[in-house]
Amino acid sequence: MSNTVNKDENKVRVEHLTKFFGDLHVLDDVSFNIKKGEFLCVVGPTGCGKTTFLNLLTRIYMPTKGELYIDNEPADPKKHNLAVVFQEPSSMPWLTVEQNLRFGMEIKHLPKHEIDKRVENIINLLGLQEFRNQYPHQLSISTAQRIIIGRAFAMQPDLLLMDEPYGQMDIKLRFYLEDEVIRLWREMGTTVVFITHNIEEAVYLAERVLILTNKPAKIKEEVKIDLPRPRDVSSPEFIEIRNHITDQIKWW
Amino acid sequence: MSKKKINIENMSAAEIREHRLNILYKVLPIISILLLIGLWLFASSLSSGFPSPGDVWERTVRLFTKPVKKMNLFGHIFASLQRIGLALLFDWTFGIAFGILIGWNRKAKAFFTPMFNAFRAVPPLAWIPLITLWFGIGEFPKVLIVIFGSLASIVVNVQAGMSNVEQIYLNVGTVFNTNSRQQLFKIAIPSALDAIFAGVRTSTSAAWMVVLAAEMLGADSGVGFLISRGMDSMDMPLVLTSMISIGIVGALLAIITQYAERLICPWTRRKKSF
Amino acid sequence: MDEKKKVILKLEHISQSYVVNSQVKDAVEDVSLEVYDNEFLVILGPGHCGKTVLMNIIAGLEKPVGGAVYLDGEQVEGSDKRIGMVFQSLALMPWKTVMANVEFGPEVAGVPKEERRKTAQKYIDLVGLKGFEKSYPHELSGGMKQRVGIARAYTNNPEILLMDEPFGQLDAQTRYAMEEEVLRIWEKEKRTIIFVTNNIEEAVYLGDRIVLLSNCPAKVKEIYDLKNLARPRNTTDPEFLRIRTEISDNTDLAL
Repeated sequence: MSNTVNKDENKVRVEHLTKFFGDLHVLDDVSFNIKKGEFLCVVGPTGCGKTTFLNLLTRIYMPTKGELYIDNEPADPKKHNLAVVFQEPSSMPWLTVEQNLRFGMEIKHLPKHEIDKRVENIINLLGLQEFRNQYPHQLSISTAQRIIIGRAFAMQPDLLLMDEPYGQMDIKLRFYLEDEVIRLWREMGTTVVFITHNIEEAVYLAERVLILTNKPAKIKEEVKIDLPRPRDVSSPEFIEIRNHITDQIKWW
Repeated sequence: MSKKKINIENMSAAEIREHRLNILYKVLPIISILLLIGLWLFASSLSSGFPSPGDVWERTVRLFTKPVKKMNLFGHIFASLQRIGLALLFDWTFGIAFGILIGWNRKAKAFFTPMFNAFRAVPPLAWIPLITLWFGIGEFPKVLIVIFGSLASIVVNVQAGMSNVEQIYLNVGTVFNTNSRQQLFKIAIPSALDAIFAGVRTSTSAAWMVVLAAEMLGADSGVGFLISRGMDSMDMPLVLTSMISIGIVGALLAIITQYAERLICPWTRRKKSF
Repeated sequence: MDEKKKVILKLEHISQSYVVNSQVKDAVEDVSLEVYDNEFLVILGPGHCGKTVLMNIIAGLEKPVGGAVYLDGEQVEGSDKRIGMVFQSLALMPWKTVMANVEFGPEVAGVPKEERRKTAQKYIDLVGLKGFEKSYPHELSGGMKQRVGIARAYTNNPEILLMDEPFGQLDAQTRYAMEEEVLRIWEKEKRTIIFVTNNIEEAVYLGDRIVLLSNCPAKVKEIYDLKNLARPRNTTDPEFLRIRTEISDNTDLAL
């Protein structure tokens, strides 16, 4: 690992992250850095401990060894602004789309004009004008998920974690939403960790892909992806990277 | 979380903090019970009308050496259990069958529901005068009151389970060409078993509550009778002895029905273990 | 057309509508389709209406407002023993063990225990679940539950197997594994399979033919013949990706 370059550039530092549940060794000495505004994807074989990994980053679990630093301070959900997008949409059913978008920022007591500005920005970026006064149950699952993603970006979090937000969607829809998330990311400059089982998705989105091994999960390889965007999923370069990553984790 | 072996040396400070919290969660209930006994001791030291734990223990022992109405504590508990046993036997046969009928058959539901709702809107104890008038004060009226007090809870649960059978299971049945009898016995009833068991649990605890009330009004056996006997003779240690045994038996009944459910419906085990 | 292809199932002008909030909503509109004997037919559709409805109509779980289903030239009314179904993941009965789930079909048909056990065991072995006969569904992983579903459908020995988005709940990798698995089973025990999915990659990986439906109401938009795409298929093969892109471009976006 060559992280001697410029430490200040690193938004997030993960050092020797290790987790045991009793005797069960889930995560083994995982270290990596994330640069400010980077889009990082994490892939690994099914059941490799990705969920534990995520829960350690959000501090739902505490690590057995190692530490997670944000801006050179140990990560603390009370101090740092972490946002998570889960696989299932998690909007508040009693709030409208707009109220849902405001929700997190109101909890953080941001000034009203700032909230107004950010909500307007997100609604425009996502093209959600027609939905702003609707309730989540009136939306399709994909639209509900877009609201959640919008809400997360609007928080301008220090670190945005996404856990397979497009899990069960078809390719057409997925490409559309992936393009959208890239647009949001570029616009907002957010630091993103995106966890997925889908290798094509990882190669399409990421600036860098971390490949995890089977349990206990270690970092098997780091793959930098500097293909120009929008990326062509059928270009030979793309397929080469996709096949390479698949070979690293294929169990099926 | 099931953490089998906990190895302190391997843990980080944060995990040790987590581990200590988990120990605290186990210790707090014990402290709570100790505190309750402490309060009891304190209260009994203030007023002579409030017996101390020692008094109650002594009274309990005396109940075995000098039985009341020729029955020791276990005898009275058994008498009460016998009454709820008879009542529950009726609940679990007629009540379950009736619940299945109105949960499965829409015509039966439309016909019987108003009748049933009228019946269950009346608290069981309100029946006591009429039942006493009709049947006197023997065993049968007591069992009847217990039935009146516990039947509704099983019927409601069974009916809910039967009318909420997941459509997909019925679809599976249709695709495999089940006839309507098979739909009922192979799919609907098994899938409603956990609701039926919820009914078994609530009817058991309801029966145990009502039997005490029934016994307090003219009986010569049962824990409810012990309480009223204690009240009549100002024997407060006896009242407390009965109260505690009622609590313990009630808790045991809950544990037994839960255990029976796990035995009969092993597929619900995972849900229940949380 | 092709003399060698025997039509086993025929849908004629199937339409289905529902009344939702006192408005008529069309789910399926005039779908006509011929399904050949022992082919792997994929019905691919975006969005939520149409696909499952079409499956339910073929399985006899609901009656269409218009049109008819013909099996071997005869009209099908209600459910038919010759048509089996693998449901979305929830459909295993949680109160039954793997064995009891798999032998459910012959059991309700009154097949003697010994005989149905033998058939069930054969298919449990075929889907690779030997040793799990006594397990309950909640003790199995997502992929294993789907294997039970497949074995259960096969045990009833249907001519046509309907699979309604069986892998929709699985993660991308387990899904690849199960796609390979379902093809392996199909190669060993040839049946006519009608497989519904919203996943274009899955459709191209599995299908002899793909019927592309439009978004609500579902109509047949196009039928793709993939018999010339050799198996086993490779999801990153250029030809595979070309077909995938072609179909993707032709698919309605269902946001």
